[in-house]
Amino acid sequence: MSLLAQDTRTKRRNAAERRFRRYGLTAIGISLAALVMLLTSVFSSGLGAFRQTFIHIPITLTESALDKSGTRDPDVMHKVTTIGYARVINAALAQAIADNGIVIDGLTDDDIADTISKEAPAQVRDAVLANPDLVGQTVSFSILANGRVDGYLKGRVSLESAAIDTKISTRQLALADAMQDKGLMSRDFNWAFITAADASDQRPEAAGLGVAILGSLYMMLVVLCLALPLGVAASIYLEEFAPKNRWTDLIEVNIANLAAVPSIVFGILGLAIFINFAGLPQSAPIVGGLVLTLMTLPTIIIATRASLKAVPNSIRDAALGVGASKMQAVFHHVLPLAAPGILTGAILGLAQALGETAPLLLIGMVAFVREYPGAPPEGFFDPASALPVQIYNWTQRADPAFVERASGAIIVLLVFLLVLNATAILLRRRFERRW
Amino acid sequence: MTTETTKMTARSVQVFYGDNHAIKDVDVDILDNTVTAFIGPSGCGKSTFLRCLNRMNDTIDICRVQGEILMQGENIYDPRVDPVQLRAKVGMVFQKPNPFPKSIYDNVAYGPKIHGLTRSKAELDEVVEKSLRRAALWAEVKDRLHAPGTGLSGGQQQRLCIARAIATNPEVLLMDEPCSALDPIATAQVEELIDELRTQFAVVIVTHSMQQAARVSQRTAFFHLGNLVEYGETGQIFTTPRDPRTESYITGRIG
Repeated sequence: MSLLAQDTRTKRRNAAERRFRRYGLTAIGISLAALVMLLTSVFSSGLGAFRQTFIHIPITLTESALDKSGTRDPDVMHKVTTIGYARVINAALAQAIADNGIVIDGLTDDDIADTISKEAPAQVRDAVLANPDLVGQTVSFSILANGRVDGYLKGRVSLESAAIDTKISTRQLALADAMQDKGLMSRDFNWAFITAADASDQRPEAAGLGVAILGSLYMMLVVLCLALPLGVAASIYLEEFAPKNRWTDLIEVNIANLAAVPSIVFGILGLAIFINFAGLPQSAPIVGGLVLTLMTLPTIIIATRASLKAVPNSIRDAALGVGASKMQAVFHHVLPLAAPGILTGAILGLAQALGETAPLLLIGMVAFVREYPGAPPEGFFDPASALPVQIYNWTQRADPAFVERASGAIIVLLVFLLVLNATAILLRRRFERRW
Repeated sequence: MTTETTKMTARSVQVFYGDNHAIKDVDVDILDNTVTAFIGPSGCGKSTFLRCLNRMNDTIDICRVQGEILMQGENIYDPRVDPVQLRAKVGMVFQKPNPFPKSIYDNVAYGPKIHGLTRSKAELDEVVEKSLRRAALWAEVKDRLHAPGTGLSGGQQQRLCIARAIATNPEVLLMDEPCSALDPIATAQVEELIDELRTQFAVVIVTHSMQQAARVSQRTAFFHLGNLVEYGETGQIFTTPRDPRTESYITGRIG
């Protein structure tokens, strides 16, 4: 038989190998396509949330309307509600439209007023109360436009949809076009989406992630401060010191099982123990953090034990051989070598906790929270939201503008997860040592 | 060489791994300033017995040791003995070079540091230099003391491990097949070193190579199936063995 020709057996083996490679490539192709589809859909619907339509007009802050007493005392000026400010803003907008010579048939004052967000009076009021000396002056403001107008500029609302929409008219859209031409209206980067608190159903344009990001951050702090030391200590004890017997076997099996417990079960546990039994407040980052700690512990313990196991025994022998105690051997030699693995495990556990929704729903973090939680440590007990819950929350709202917000929030969450995972990879690269 | 003082005395030592009786009734005297070689086929218990001498077997859960091993008249298995203190006096070098993944300096300085043997940085520097010199490594590494110990060649790593073991100034140095992972040149260097070291320590070496035992040791103990078959002067063991099993082994008939 010539070596130049393949026999049937070799041909079959080669064909099998080629087939297997094709399967592998197909599997990778499908996953990549799914990922691309996911990212395209999230980014195409979510990027809009990072830009917002603002109306730029000079507003004359008349003293007679905003500070009747003339004292410029914020305590007294508090009596003027947003309704008073709305009148001033509406007048200013009508004035600006007239000044710029915009004329649209059948446009009423109400039509003009409705292109402004219901959040705008609060914006102006906050600015005035922060600096009472503004009263009496004419100040340039960039105020939020209504969500429908914003949708029109982003292509979500069209003339056809406006014709059957009671909340917006084609006249208002024509006005928006004209205001854009005159530079009265534009889309700018929306910092408020990252920093502002959530807003009610009527004002999607004002809704932001500030409280949710802060809440998630506080919870991650709690998780990091509790789960990392507890998990690492438990793993070191189990791996290096505990006698190998039936009890430690049982504990080991239970930790592995705990890692597989559905997260909602941890939520019920948190509700029963931390809120009903311990009396901690609902919706508070401390409770969320505790529940997520319980959830993250097994992940950290498993990762830590794996990296401790990966440290060769020769290192322990070497340390014991020169007369180090067991604890010195572990803390001077084994732990530093296991540290990259432990950190990676901890960060991945943290990333998992950051994206967790179900247990937080049960402990009341799904509530509508307008107020920022205070500074730690008191802030841990203030009501707050969390990123994934905020996404869930927004997808439940009626106004289509909230779909854009939810997708935008997903982008923010993905960025955080990406940063965490990149940190994990960097730490591993940086501290990984060979032996 | 001149002194014949006994450093360690083992009397009727039994070792069990669970139900397995690994060492049966071994009596050995380890002499000071002498290289004692343990030879025997694989699995005969020579390494196990070596690890009894500094209680490294304590780290194995299922291992039990009976009998007594005396060091200067004190039983090292007495419950009052802390193995950590014992291991500072009985140093060990392992089969595979296992330097810590730290600098050469830190490898050697680690023992003196944890035992508080030095009072100042200068004193520590001195101990490190002395240990490296005694391990015949100083000339090769003196310019890169802060380079990682794992970056050295295999033979250098093993000499670094020896330097690390002698830095705590032990009385006995145990070596578990220290040359089995080394090439012939590195082996020759380490063997030369062992001969040097016996001027200051009692050295116990486990080896698979009978030539090595003949070259470096003054005393040889032959183990077979957990029994100490024969123990005596190296010359006598290799030329006129008393036990037929020893003779079979050194002539290559069993192993």
